[in-house]
Amino acid sequence: MLRLECPNCGVRNAAEFRYGSEYTPRPSPSTDASDVEWTRFLYLRHNSMGVQTEWWYHRSGCGLWFLVERDRRTNAIARTWRWQPLDQPEIDAP
Amino acid sequence: MTGRRIEARDGQVVERGQPIKFRFDGRTYEGYSGDTVASALTAAGVSILSRSFKYHRPRGLLCGAGHCPNCLVQIGDEPSVRSCKRVIEEGMDVRPQNAWPSLDNDVMALTESISRFLPVGFYYKIFHRPRTLWPAFEHILRNAAGLGVIDQNTPEGDYDKQYLHADVVVVGGGPAGLSAAVSAAEAGARVLLIDENPQLGGHLRFARPDSRLSEKVADCRQRLEQAGAQVLTNTAVVGWYQDHWLSAVCEQRLFKIRAGAVVVATGAFESPPVFAGNDRPRVLLGTAVQRLLHMYGVTPGERGVVVTANDAGWAVAADLIAAGVEIAALVDEREAPMINADAHAVQAAGVNVLHGYTIGAARGKRGVEEVTLVPTDGSAPQHVVRCDFVSLSTTWVPSTELATMAGARSRYDDTLAEMQLEDLPDGLYLAGRVTGPCTAEQEWTQGAAAGAAAASGDRSPSTDQARTDLAPNTLATTDLRRSSPLVSAPVVGSDKRIVCFCEDVTDTDIETAISEGFDRIELLKRYSTVGMGPCQGRMCGLNSIRLCARATGHSVQETGRTTGRPPVTPISLGALAGQKMDPVQLSAVHQWHVDAGARLMVAGPWMRPEHYGDPAEEVRAVREAVGLIDVSPLGKLKLTGPGVATMLERLYVNQWQDLGRGRVRYGIMCNDEGVILDDGVCARLSDQEWYVSTTSTGASGALEWMEWWRQSGWGEGVHITDLTETHAAFNLTGPLARRVLQPITSRDLSHRKFPYMRARRTQVAGVECLLLRIGFTGELGYEIHCPAGYGRYLWETLVEAGAAHNLRPFGVEAQRILRLEKAHFIVGQDTDALTDPLSADAPWAVRLDKEEDFLGRRALSRISAEGPKQRLVGFRTGRRADRLIEGLQIVQQNDREAPEIIGWISSCRFSPTLQETLGLCWLPAELAAQAGATFQIHVEGGLEEATVHHGPFYDPEGERLRG
Repeated sequence: MLRLECPNCGVRNAAEFRYGSEYTPRPSPSTDASDVEWTRFLYLRHNSMGVQTEWWYHRSGCGLWFLVERDRRTNAIARTWRWQPLDQPEIDAP
Repeated sequence: MTGRRIEARDGQVVERGQPIKFRFDGRTYEGYSGDTVASALTAAGVSILSRSFKYHRPRGLLCGAGHCPNCLVQIGDEPSVRSCKRVIEEGMDVRPQNAWPSLDNDVMALTESISRFLPVGFYYKIFHRPRTLWPAFEHILRNAAGLGVIDQNTPEGDYDKQYLHADVVVVGGGPAGLSAAVSAAEAGARVLLIDENPQLGGHLRFARPDSRLSEKVADCRQRLEQAGAQVLTNTAVVGWYQDHWLSAVCEQRLFKIRAGAVVVATGAFESPPVFAGNDRPRVLLGTAVQRLLHMYGVTPGERGVVVTANDAGWAVAADLIAAGVEIAALVDEREAPMINADAHAVQAAGVNVLHGYTIGAARGKRGVEEVTLVPTDGSAPQHVVRCDFVSLSTTWVPSTELATMAGARSRYDDTLAEMQLEDLPDGLYLAGRVTGPCTAEQEWTQGAAAGAAAASGDRSPSTDQARTDLAPNTLATTDLRRSSPLVSAPVVGSDKRIVCFCEDVTDTDIETAISEGFDRIELLKRYSTVGMGPCQGRMCGLNSIRLCARATGHSVQETGRTTGRPPVTPISLGALAGQKMDPVQLSAVHQWHVDAGARLMVAGPWMRPEHYGDPAEEVRAVREAVGLIDVSPLGKLKLTGPGVATMLERLYVNQWQDLGRGRVRYGIMCNDEGVILDDGVCARLSDQEWYVSTTSTGASGALEWMEWWRQSGWGEGVHITDLTETHAAFNLTGPLARRVLQPITSRDLSHRKFPYMRARRTQVAGVECLLLRIGFTGELGYEIHCPAGYGRYLWETLVEAGAAHNLRPFGVEAQRILRLEKAHFIVGQDTDALTDPLSADAPWAVRLDKEEDFLGRRALSRISAEGPKQRLVGFRTGRRADRLIEGLQIVQQNDREAPEIIGWISSCRFSPTLQETLGLCWLPAELAAQAGATFQIHVEGGLEEATVHHGPFYDPEGERLRG
């Protein structure tokens, strides 16, 4: 079973967590986004074979939503961190 | 037949003083305590243990190690038991599988005489036309296929699971595993040593007894105990998962093990060569012969032929000679003569030795009667030798399953003629025979090095380096237990040359499949089913890869191997399922419900009363007097802080900034697709304090959703406290609700002081409560929230206070009817993953004009502009229509064509109040817009008519709510 490091609680079994989704920041306000941008946000996922930034939730723990950089081929976790207002990694368009 | 006991010796696991009687195929046999079913039957001269899967060929003991399918039997209600592993018990009833009427005379063995009409993949090729006959064929084939019988009356077993943690897990208790465990444990690591056999020692248990080595095993056990290592025997590690998470099974217990590092010391197993009649009973692998001799004191026969391609076969021959068994011939594929003690013993016994020879065919009806020995190049002269058993020591396959699951790659070494592991992942170490041919001494050394490295957490600089350090195995070191490079024996006679013993796949079948285009190993496996049986490729894996390579002209490395997946060895489904545990949440009033005779139902994670005997009466009580329902499963959240109103504006489609203190509003939460996620009421208790309720079944999902947005930028100045489990909630509702509640609270409940859609904090019977005046049921109602610890007391107080007013407790079923009479939808019942609030007849909740951006705004703006295509609308029938149930399709009969489905019923009940069947349904928008329009519902065997209804069915003006 995969292990994840919760920024609050430390390394725990993946069964304690819930996967959220790929990290896809919401255009804000939604009304300013073009149809293309909006469609990309709502429906298109990178589904990349490689490192992905994604959301996880510590459901059976502290209740923190945090970000994880995970290699989807090997499940290797590069880092996990709390969301920060300015900490929005650039993500290539699909 | 043959097979007998030899004298008792050290190392044997049978207790000669304890005879045990058991039954097999209708006859009674006797063995000794410690015997397996197979060893006892072999000693008794039984050679046929089963019939093969497809051709029903007679089969006997082959591997003796619990790998192959040849000795599978049914024991009591347990099918497919490996009789070479299962220890006999007094009175055990062992029955053969796949044979009728008996093992010796099996009717289905006739299949073999028509085998040329049953080529590889025959079920894909024939029985397809005419199509109508397939069900008949299928019936016959299903009965013919399969092995054991499942007894559906078998009581449930007691299965459980256990979690274990260790710094170093050593898999395999042979010399390498033992020394790895000792060195890791003595280096201070928490060690867990696991072996699938009842005793530690690995091949030392059945190879020639050597007092020095058995002392060493005993010494290791003692040192492990002193160092505090844990040892699990009889336990098979069946899977490796991410981050060294192992699964292991011991009888009815599944272990889940988190390991810091894993030492794979799984050794190697033998696999048989391909020759005509290689599946005849009494054709055994050399290790099976050694197991019989040294563990059970049983000989496989009186006159044997030993086939080998390495030193191990000579050791088997010497062991047999020492046990007084005659060796009719020994053939060694190698040309060079052998010089060692075993060779000396063989020569001293005057055994006919043929170098450069192998076995071409084994013949015999119930066992082996004679064999043909041929030069490996197929030339002359051939020799026919009479014998009653054959011992095979030609091919060794390293047990690489766990290591490859962990990500190690395998590379075929043409010189060693076996798979070698490389690119080991971090924390995975190898030791012993799994790395390649080596002596027991080398296994001890490698194990110690691997154990020390695993304990120190040394990430080996590179796996190649680790390999050099830990696996100094070369051909020069030893010829013991190495594999033959011969792909298959020269063809002799016409008997089948079995590759896959489980599925009866022959070398000809493999060549045919390849010539038909299934020339990739994964395709070949799926088409021919080679390797898909109970042994999961252990007997046939290497042979099928090498045959495929030879037929396609590729190298074995290019051919590759099929992907190995858990479980490594078969395990029972019960072990995977574990204990039957369905945790449910219980409300504070649960026991009261039970005592009141409530019929309980599971609702999400909760156990709730569905009704207390008569839901229609409960509805009537609410409409005419007063009812009380336990709504504790509601999601209950307290939101505090200056940012709450803004966050709610963003999460809900409704407007919140304008909600005054003490007011309550119904809210709908959508995602950005405009799909309804949840609904509930939100009460503003003060400027910065809100009380939000969510649906019962969606409570955890709604909280997670809100937390996600709160924690990712929308939660400035917002704190969420989940009160779902800490607070109980009851809905006291009905025209007499006020009369019940007023005497036990100081708060003035008059309509003027506490109007509809208001929230008030007050004491009820001395308990601090929050009252919400809302009306899901359509009657005057107070939702009473209090700390769960007071829940039972408050409930009982309310019931007592209501006694004079004919208060009745009601359950979920009555509540469903009550809300349906008001045409309120239930999220998840009437809505699905495509439902938006505009289509669900709640456009009044959606405030597209509010300033704040909110989830769903874009989607709902669009739907609003285009107009919904389907709408949720009420329907009535004017009669009792019991055939109408939820989920039925609404159809439209167009001329000529088949009826078209235009909608469906999402809720439907007979209304005790209105005395007719009514409900909610999804209809095309234009039809839904016409109140009074009729439509047809498809029911089994006909159509039912209903009419479109707008608004609540009961009290459309809502006067009773505001009473």
